[in-house]
Amino acid sequence: MSDKNSLSAVEKIKQESNGLRGTIVESLENEITGAISEEDQALIKFHGMYQQDDRDRREERSEKKLERLFSFMIRLRLAGGFLTPEQWIATHEIAGENSTGIIKITTRQTVQLHGIIKSKIKPTIQAFNEAKLHSIATCGDINRNVLCTSNPIQSPIHAQIFHFADRISKLLMPKTRAYYEIWLGEEKIADRKEEADPLYNDNYLPRKFKIGVVIPPNNDIDVLANDIGLIAIIENNELKGFNIAIGGGLSTTHGNEETYARLATVIGFTDTEEKILKAVYEIVTIQRDYGNRSDRKLARLKYTLDKYGEDWFRTELENRTGFKLEEPRPYTFTSRKDFYGWVQSHDGLWHYTMFIENGRVMDDEKLAMKTALLEVARTGKAHFRFTCNQNLILTDIKQEDKNTIEVILHRFNIIGHTETASVIRRNAMACTALNTCPLALAEAQRYLPSLLTLIEPLLARHGLSDEDIILRMTGCPNGCARPYAAEIGFVGTVLGRYNLHLGGDNEGTRLNKIYKENLDEAAILSELDMLFEVYKNERDHGEKFGDFALRKSWVSAPAGFLFRG
Amino acid sequence: MVPEQKLKTFLELIKNSTSQELIWMNGYLSGVLSQGKESQAPAQVKNGINKITIVYGTETGNSKRLATSFAATAKKVGINAKVVSMDQYRVTDLSKEEYFFSIVSTHGEGDPPASAKKFYDHIHQNGFQLGKLKYGVLALGDTSYPLFCKIGEDVDEQLKKLGGSRIVPLQKCDVDFEDDANAWINNALHILQNNGTVVTAPPVVAKKATGRKTFSGKILSNINLNDFGSGKETRHIEIAVEDVDYLPGDSIGVIPENPGAAVEAIISLAEITKEQTVIYKNEPQSIYDLLLQKLNIIYLPERVVKKYAEIVQQDIPATRIDLVDLLKIYPVKDAHHFVDVVTALEPIAPRLYSIASSPEAHSDELHITVAKNNFRVHDELKYGLTSDFLVKLKEEAPLNFYVHPNSQFRLPEEDTDIIMIGPGTGIAPFRSFIAHRDATGASGKNWLFFGEQHFTTDFLYQTEIQNWLETGVLTKVNVAFSRDQPQKVYVQHKMLREGRILYEWIESGACVYVCGTKDPMSIDVENTLLQIIGEHGNRSAEEALQYLDQMKEDGKYMKDVY
Ligand code: SRM
Ligand SMILES: Cc1cc2nc3c(=O)[nH]c(=O)nc-3n(C[C@H](O)[C@H](O)[C@H](O)COP(=O)(O)OP(=O)(O)OC[C@H]3O[C@@H](n4cnc5c(N)ncnc54)[C@H](O)[C@@H]3O)c2cc1C
Ligand SMILES: Cc1cc2nc3c(=O)[nH]c(=O)nc-3n(C[C@H](O)[C@H](O)[C@H](O)COP(=O)(O)O)c2cc1C
Ligand code: SF4
Repeated sequence: MSDKNSLSAVEKIKQESNGLRGTIVESLENEITGAISEEDQALIKFHGMYQQDDRDRREERSEKKLERLFSFMIRLRLAGGFLTPEQWIATHEIAGENSTGIIKITTRQTVQLHGIIKSKIKPTIQAFNEAKLHSIATCGDINRNVLCTSNPIQSPIHAQIFHFADRISKLLMPKTRAYYEIWLGEEKIADRKEEADPLYNDNYLPRKFKIGVVIPPNNDIDVLANDIGLIAIIENNELKGFNIAIGGGLSTTHGNEETYARLATVIGFTDTEEKILKAVYEIVTIQRDYGNRSDRKLARLKYTLDKYGEDWFRTELENRTGFKLEEPRPYTFTSRKDFYGWVQSHDGLWHYTMFIENGRVMDDEKLAMKTALLEVARTGKAHFRFTCNQNLILTDIKQEDKNTIEVILHRFNIIGHTETASVIRRNAMACTALNTCPLALAEAQRYLPSLLTLIEPLLARHGLSDEDIILRMTGCPNGCARPYAAEIGFVGTVLGRYNLHLGGDNEGTRLNKIYKENLDEAAILSELDMLFEVYKNERDHGEKFGDFALRKSWVSAPAGFLFRG
Repeated sequence: MVPEQKLKTFLELIKNSTSQELIWMNGYLSGVLSQGKESQAPAQVKNGINKITIVYGTETGNSKRLATSFAATAKKVGINAKVVSMDQYRVTDLSKEEYFFSIVSTHGEGDPPASAKKFYDHIHQNGFQLGKLKYGVLALGDTSYPLFCKIGEDVDEQLKKLGGSRIVPLQKCDVDFEDDANAWINNALHILQNNGTVVTAPPVVAKKATGRKTFSGKILSNINLNDFGSGKETRHIEIAVEDVDYLPGDSIGVIPENPGAAVEAIISLAEITKEQTVIYKNEPQSIYDLLLQKLNIIYLPERVVKKYAEIVQQDIPATRIDLVDLLKIYPVKDAHHFVDVVTALEPIAPRLYSIASSPEAHSDELHITVAKNNFRVHDELKYGLTSDFLVKLKEEAPLNFYVHPNSQFRLPEEDTDIIMIGPGTGIAPFRSFIAHRDATGASGKNWLFFGEQHFTTDFLYQTEIQNWLETGVLTKVNVAFSRDQPQKVYVQHKMLREGRILYEWIESGACVYVCGTKDPMSIDVENTLLQIIGEHGNRSAEEALQYLDQMKEDGKYMKDVY
């Protein structure tokens, strides 16, 4: 276990936070600033919020002797990324009243609202609460939103798996009442014993913790990027159990040799729901007890696993659960995609997957997407599911309602928008980055669309427009849009420059590596033009771009599943 | 009969004595003679008046200063003088007064100082006579304002109307009032020496203003403190200056130029040439320059419109209007008529801006905080002449100004606590106060109340205030942003919420300062103060009022409002 004396600052803050309360109330009452105290900034994450500021406005505001334009981003807890139409309407209205108005669908299947000023946090959370929505533990050193394969057509027993993701999510919730007291005016608990938390105690986990549940053969959720990945093993429409993969995590830090992206390692299989939950729970306790609490850069489960070794970990887990893990069952991933357009699932219900560039739901001069979705929600005839590619599925639509929805989607040209978007664009993802992300080194979601507009003609020129290539961009090496698990990955280094990564596979089972560093737009375009040309001329039949890149040794073969930053 | 030596010393003594000393000696000697033996100085003047009342009406302290020095010299000659501020003076005593002197300034647009209002209104009611009142008035003013010493004039006339007898002629003083004022005081004392026999000298007309020291600074920076999306535009203007003496609490006066376009239009409407001159303040000057720099051509007061009507011999409704529009609607017959119009025009009044910097903290710089004044004239949006001019000033641009000292708005002893209430541009002098106390390491506690429309866009000097809070220079800060919630919240509401502590500070000797708009802010704030003093000191409304009056008198409640 990590040395007490050198505990990281955050550890101290958690411990002394009196159940994640800290001085948040006082911070909210401070009228002189739109910010909250530094300690509270660390704590408020556990309540599902981040303090941010509009980075575009910093210089100008300081000239005016005004503080930074502080605001808060809130992230909802939606296991499996599911909303009822009523909840979508509520989110729509809250976004309009208290935030920038944009509803941001994230790479982890939930939504975020940005630009909420301090005085609007309470009203926001209360309004969400009215709609039976909350943001508890969507951020912070704790188990985050649990992912689940999005599209019901992926299995007749999708509902069962989905329900399972929800069970895990609830199992790993913190016990503190702080959220209810601070934001919802719940009576202060008399005795903290009432909220004693055997899992998280008072210091929670060393770092964020992520879990995903996937239904092969489509790896739409990038299951191996999670601390725990559960791979459903289904035989003739019956859930047999799950392969358990652990130690996924993508983030690296420029210039920090010790950090690396890593895909999860399958360590075994187990069957009953009870055993699965037990295993998941104990993996978390092992990370809690053995994770690095002094260096946050090396605190994720992947580093704990590599420090103690796979065998040690399995044994420790079996000791804690009291049962042995079975040999992993065979499974294959053949794709990692969203099923755009209409699909009908086994139960006869219809589902429409629409393309939302970088997950930003808004109305602009070209497309009134936000209004369209409001109209859809108002019919009450479709549920909303989010995908880990930042897209939206209108789901569970009865045959007799399909037309109603389709008419709306046509009227607002959602269908046209989805169908005409190029393949590369529909596969692409970019993280939020500027102007809200404090860690961004370069642009991402504000830039990628225009870059793609320049890349599309290159593909066309080489007749590759229909190639199913996965391209992703982030504004820093933290990897929020999982660029390391892409066939073409861009990782921002400074404004206007990106490292170009190649060699990842199309299914998300092999990470890419740096091909060239610090490229500006011109360099990016000429490199891609050259690469596409070679690919066009020298590829084997049906060979994917990522595999070709590796075969051409544009990048050296990755050291197993590792990628060192 | 006097020996050489004695005579020499005597003459020397006389030669080196001031007029007041001579008056005193004179009185003393006559005292000695009358009693046939030496008596203790100061002796009382034979048949002389020995009791007078001096009332003063002041905004920025000049009248008060003169009143006290008047009283001091009077005492030296054995005249016992009671000095009272006009707002402390019991007007019912007027009828009992015998020898009564008023020293009063003029403010606003020819208005009495706030502290003189009650007195001024009282003497303007008829229905009472002041048969035995013998009086004299010293008027303070500034020739660069249209209604020079208006209030002094009014008081002088009114007391006459009420049956008083003027024993000292009215003296109107310009900004360089020292000499005129002292002459008037000596004259008054002299007359009192002679049993107040009325002298019928014509009122002394003020000589041309020379005393104003104008400075020329250079704009260092001119930034809009409001963020975009704000309904306000408030400029922080930093001016490079050389050896300008000022103290926190002072203001600068700026005399704006008229818009060139308007002047051009006037010239062409009047069909005269730019070169044409008129005699103004007994000097020939070019009409163009006068219209551009000296004379007010915008929003003429009714009295000027009236004069215009007489000149052009047309009847014009009593209203305020720009000269251009007058010329368009009621053209002048010829250039001669226009020259008459020019001479009927009044000077452009200076505009004042509280100094927001401190000589201790910002050497060779002077800062002001200017709100762009805007208003609608039948839904055309217009901007205030001076503020618009200042807002537009670019870096390096020159700016002429004078310093208007305000001895009624000064920091107290370094260890006295202060409470500053300054919403909007009212923050300006307090920025100076705090910077000053920071630079001088004053030990008194400092509490600021600030208010504006929106937190995000209108929090003037936010980062400076935050730093002062961190370093502890500011002990407490309360802010009110009126439009960030459905119901309006203003500084007075925040004061009320802090009522108990606020009262504790006051009780333990804190000074309270209010700066910003007079109406309604300063009125609401004052009522709130009264409410707090009432509630937390459980006093009746009446007692609370007295308490606040006492604070005023002790210089613990100070306002600089506009
Ligand atoms: C919104 C989202 C990107 C998007 O455009 O969708 C996002 C946005 C941010 N991420 Fe992330 N991350 C998001 C998915 C990811 C993923 C992808 C995934 O989990 O599949 C990763 C890589 C996988 C992993 O965890 O290794 C990821 C790795 C990080 C890291 C690096 C973690 C690490 O192990 O070092 C940080 C920085 C940190 O935690 O210190 C980070 C931090 C952040 C913050 C909160 C910046 C901060 O810490 O202040 C970003 C907020 C920007 C904004 O204004 O929205 N985000 N972040 C995704 C929200 C997911 C969700 O709903 O919870
Ligand atoms: C002691 C003192 C301190 C002050 N300190 C500050 C300070 O720190 N900061 C600050 O910003 N101000 C301060 N002021 C106020 C400042 O002096 C000016 O009064 C203010 O800037 C407006 O002047 P202006 O020339 O811009 O507007 P003006 O041109 O004088 O117009 C003022 C008003 O007159 C009316 N008006 C003018 N022209 C017309 C027209 N053509 N038709 C109809 N109506 C018209 C409008 O109501 C307009 O709002 C202070 C005033 C005083 C007395
Ligand atoms: C805002 C303001 C308005 C003024 N208006 C006039 C005026 O209309 N007529 C005038 O003669 N003097 C005017 N003055 C000049 C003052 O009367 C002059 O400065 C006087 O010395 C102030 O005396 P006090 O300090 O006793 O108030 C004005 C001064 C200020 C600050
Ligand atoms: S990848 Fe970096 S820049 Fe992009 S959202 Fe995550 S932390 Fe911000």
